[in-house]
Amino acid sequence: MNRWILDHTQAIADAWKRTSDRFTQFIVLVCLLGILLAIPGWLAQIWIGMASLVPKDAVRSEAIVFLKKDLDVEARIDLERLLSEMPWVDEIMFVPRSAALEQLSSQDGLESIAELKNNNPLPDALRLKFTMHGVEASENEIIEKLTSDRRVLSLRYYPSTRIQYASLVEMLGFLGVGLSLLTIIGVLMAVFLVAAADVVDDRRRIELYTLLGASRRFIKRPYLYRATILGVLAGLIACLVITLLNEVLSSVLALSLKAIDTRLSNFPMDGRILIGVASIAVFTSWVGAERAVSRRLKALH
Amino acid sequence: MIEFESVAKVFDGQREALSNVNFRLAPGEMAFLTGHSGAGKSTLLRLILGFETASSGVVRVAGTDLSTLSGEKLARYRRRVGVVFQDPNLEDDLSVYDNVALPLRISGFSESEIPKRVKAALSRVDLSDQAKARPRVLSGGQQQRVGIARAIVHRPALLVADEPTGNLDPELSARVMRMFTQFQQLGVTILVATHERAVVESLPFRRLVIERGSLVSDGMGANR
Ligand SMILES: Nc1ncnc2c1ncn2[C@@H]1O[C@H](COP(=O)(O)OP(=O)(O)O)[C@@H](O)[C@H]1O
Ligand SMILES: [Mg+2]
Repeated sequence: MNRWILDHTQAIADAWKRTSDRFTQFIVLVCLLGILLAIPGWLAQIWIGMASLVPKDAVRSEAIVFLKKDLDVEARIDLERLLSEMPWVDEIMFVPRSAALEQLSSQDGLESIAELKNNNPLPDALRLKFTMHGVEASENEIIEKLTSDRRVLSLRYYPSTRIQYASLVEMLGFLGVGLSLLTIIGVLMAVFLVAAADVVDDRRRIELYTLLGASRRFIKRPYLYRATILGVLAGLIACLVITLLNEVLSSVLALSLKAIDTRLSNFPMDGRILIGVASIAVFTSWVGAERAVSRRLKALH
Repeated sequence: MIEFESVAKVFDGQREALSNVNFRLAPGEMAFLTGHSGAGKSTLLRLILGFETASSGVVRVAGTDLSTLSGEKLARYRRRVGVVFQDPNLEDDLSVYDNVALPLRISGFSESEIPKRVKAALSRVDLSDQAKARPRVLSGGQQQRVGIARAIVHRPALLVADEPTGNLDPELSARVMRMFTQFQQLGVTILVATHERAVVESLPFRRLVIERGSLVSDGMGANR
């Protein structure tokens, strides 16, 4: 146990010495990784922010289904039951034509409509509130199906806020995934190259240690500690940059979204993103070092 | 201690660096391995260190067939062998003391044991007063002696040297050889490869001569 602690303290000290020997190189690398990782992190932040900010009732769409005039009660109840059995329907309410007329006439400038009471031109209607957990397309299908039903005269559809900017979010998502992939590949390449260069610099040292009978674990340890230090620092920088970007740039984006929904005026930071970015930083840097040393050792036999 | 049984080593499927090498080195024996540059001396030593495996035949050290060792076992085997190279390959960011202590730390010696051993090894090579120095400020001969101290600090039963005097002037070379002789008197088995005939001419030890991968002569120094 004592030995174990000693070995690890030594490896950490070794890693630190190695780091401070090439301090500028190390700092440049940390900043580069941090900034590269911040890009996908920030995009994910916007994306998750947008998705999480849509309030519950904004997710719900509404439709008013006007029924054919000569529809009898039974047929109507039949349709009502059919609709209420659909899993996506949250609420269904029958609005008789008299009630509709009353509602209309209570609106500004439409008082005179009340006079039509004896000759009501309005059809009966069903008011439908529904939530689709899928995409815009499936919602459109429902609408079409309802419109083509022979009991339905016509239909008014009020898509939810989410549907309204689903395409925007989706586009951002695609853009984000693409950019993120690119940057992550960039990060991986940078880390692998740097780790490999690092190990090539230390080729003689690794050979010496092998010669002296050091186990693979012993040889790898300082490199892995160094990679961990690097990853943690790069992760911290990435988190810092993401927070800054969110403060400054996301507010610009939010401003245009505000036009769609006033609740979308700012994106709160999502802790999962920061944790995720930091873990990716540590993980890639660790894997890079592990791979480079392993290859070196394998070449040594 | 060392046993080569019809050992051949072929590189890249065609270059035959060693062919049908047979010899034994008894425990406590000291021998020189001589031959021109490119004759196969380093290859033979690398086989003993487990950095190469024989293409055919068997290499045994202390009764163990080296081809059966790998990974952790091979590492443990290497901890019992001392190695000296032409270039001592010291770590510049470690003091002389820490360079010499390296094999002990790798082998997992307790920290209380390490100072004793390092001091003993440094005094064997007459460098007790340089323990705190950085290798970079030492002369070539001193650096080589640090390398030798590092090779014997863990008291290996077998010491292998590849051109240990390659960078040294004749006087220093003689001094290094005297050190090896002292180690042999302490019971260490020693195999020294060198292409410098002058270094070994005067010394009364067994000499294995290798030419183009084959052992062509094996006898006491006086024979040649
Ligand atoms: N790793 C290798 N790959 C291919 N050829 C090698 C390798 N190592 C040594 N050789 C060849 O084996 C021969 C013996 O080399 P070496 O053992 O280094 O000779 P010496 O140490 O006696 O000068 C040389 O022809 C050399 O080119
Ligand atoms: Mg050689």
